[in-house]
Amino acid sequence: MSWQVFSGTFEQGLMYAIMVLGVYLTFRVLDYADLTVDGSFTLGAAIAARLIFAGQNPWLASGLAFIGGLVAGAFTGLLHTKFKITPLLSGILTMTALYSVNLRIMGRPNIPLLRMRTIFTDFGKLPFMDQYGVMVLSLISVLILGYLLYLFMETEIGVALRATGDNEMMIRSQGVNTDMMKILGLSISNGLVAFSGSYVAQNNQFADASMGIGMIIAGLASVIIGEVLVGTSSVKRTILAVIVGAIVYRVIIALVLQLGLGPTDLKLVTAVIVIIALTTPDIKKKIVPRSGPHAGKEVTNA
Amino acid sequence: MLRVQNILKTFNKGTVNEKMAIKGITLKLAAGDFVTVIGSNGAGKSTLLNSIAGDFPVDKGEIHIGDCEITGWPQYRRASLVSRVFQDPMRGTASSMTIEENMVMALRRGQSRRLRRAISAKERAYFRQELTKLGLSLENRLTNKVSLLSGGQRQALTLLMATIQKPQLLLLDEHTAALDPKTAEKVLDLTCRVAAENNLTTLMITHNLDHALSVGNRTIMMHEGRIILDLREEERTNMTINRLLEMFEKESGSHIHNDRMILA
Repeated sequence: MSWQVFSGTFEQGLMYAIMVLGVYLTFRVLDYADLTVDGSFTLGAAIAARLIFAGQNPWLASGLAFIGGLVAGAFTGLLHTKFKITPLLSGILTMTALYSVNLRIMGRPNIPLLRMRTIFTDFGKLPFMDQYGVMVLSLISVLILGYLLYLFMETEIGVALRATGDNEMMIRSQGVNTDMMKILGLSISNGLVAFSGSYVAQNNQFADASMGIGMIIAGLASVIIGEVLVGTSSVKRTILAVIVGAIVYRVIIALVLQLGLGPTDLKLVTAVIVIIALTTPDIKKKIVPRSGPHAGKEVTNA
Repeated sequence: MLRVQNILKTFNKGTVNEKMAIKGITLKLAAGDFVTVIGSNGAGKSTLLNSIAGDFPVDKGEIHIGDCEITGWPQYRRASLVSRVFQDPMRGTASSMTIEENMVMALRRGQSRRLRRAISAKERAYFRQELTKLGLSLENRLTNKVSLLSGGQRQALTLLMATIQKPQLLLLDEHTAALDPKTAEKVLDLTCRVAAENNLTTLMITHNLDHALSVGNRTIMMHEGRIILDLREEERTNMTINRLLEMFEKESGSHIHNDRMILA
């Protein structure tokens, strides 16, 4: 792999890591299989691209992408908690609805951002950033967001949120409104996913209505890879694992492409990675470290 | 303190599985009462506790704690007044989280959660001090995940969590039944001590008739969704297990089917 390919892969990994942080929050922390991700990733890209294309400030556009994701996640949460729709179906409903919403936002199936002002062109103008601006900005972003997520997990609300995914009955009997916690978790998760989508769109210099397809599986694969490689002994470590997993996943994909498989085969490769991870007992043990009523549940969910 | 007024609860209404679990229960507890609840399987003991805790709404009747009518309150809101320990040691704690995280959740029971650091150094010291009282050496394992603890340790921790923020009402649903006899004794001792120290109003379901009479100051017996016996003071002090079984057969018109009750 040439240095150029590798650094490009690394940059991609860092940007997708923001999305994987979101997937980790729902899949692992809330124990909620949220399929909204496929739609909210594109939503973030669509919002950012549309605004940038219209000449708006790209930083503002990225911020609004995050907020768009928050709303999408909250919608899924409301469907599940207030209308008692199953987690899977709630996510699928939002994802499907978002497909149309995204086309509306963009006004067409894709928006090119060639030679447009993006957060990366802005950042590249800083001293010494002309060559590695994309990598540095992505790295800073993912480290800040990962750290903020860690701080959040250690707050009273964060602890209640984690308990909601671990033992809902217990934390409800401690006086926490678990419906609110789920809505909050889904919101933050999809906010991160959409934010990641806005980064990817600006880096690729286009947004496409179908760019989010399979994102949830890519996210899950990254989470699993990271957990196996780095471990899950503490919250801090797991968040680090998730970021590493996102990068390693991208490297694997790049290697697969170098082996001669076409980009169209990527989804199949991703699915196979997840299937292998979930069916290999040794790996499974590492991914499902919990004992008690939750043991094994994650595997069936995933 | 607790006032349950003629409550009714039917499960699976309108289906073949319709079951009237509670057929009009009225119960009053004075502050500091420690009431043991006995009865055969399906008598409605757990349903009574669960309806007080708010797992589901009752079909009819009212539930008051202190000056509050809580009949329509959702479960998470009742948590400010009620705390509970379940039979299954796995249910009362979050296993993938640490001991101190579990304890801080209990310490904030019934309060709104804020965006501030969950555990302060002062609270950590307090947890250590409280854990020392359990005598299980848990005070040195604050950052261990709860999944590493044994059932008995988890149940002792759950009990501590249920009382670390003094509740108006403590509900214990056979909380020693899943433990080995020695651990069960220990957890029960701890229960009595904590309840006495804090003068807690307590409802405890048990299948152990010996405990039912020796622990607390009042015993109620349930059968088919009703309270059929309410023993206090002298009547209770003079009661023996055999007479209790006889009275059960007389009052309910049936034999006790539960081996656990007889063997215990």
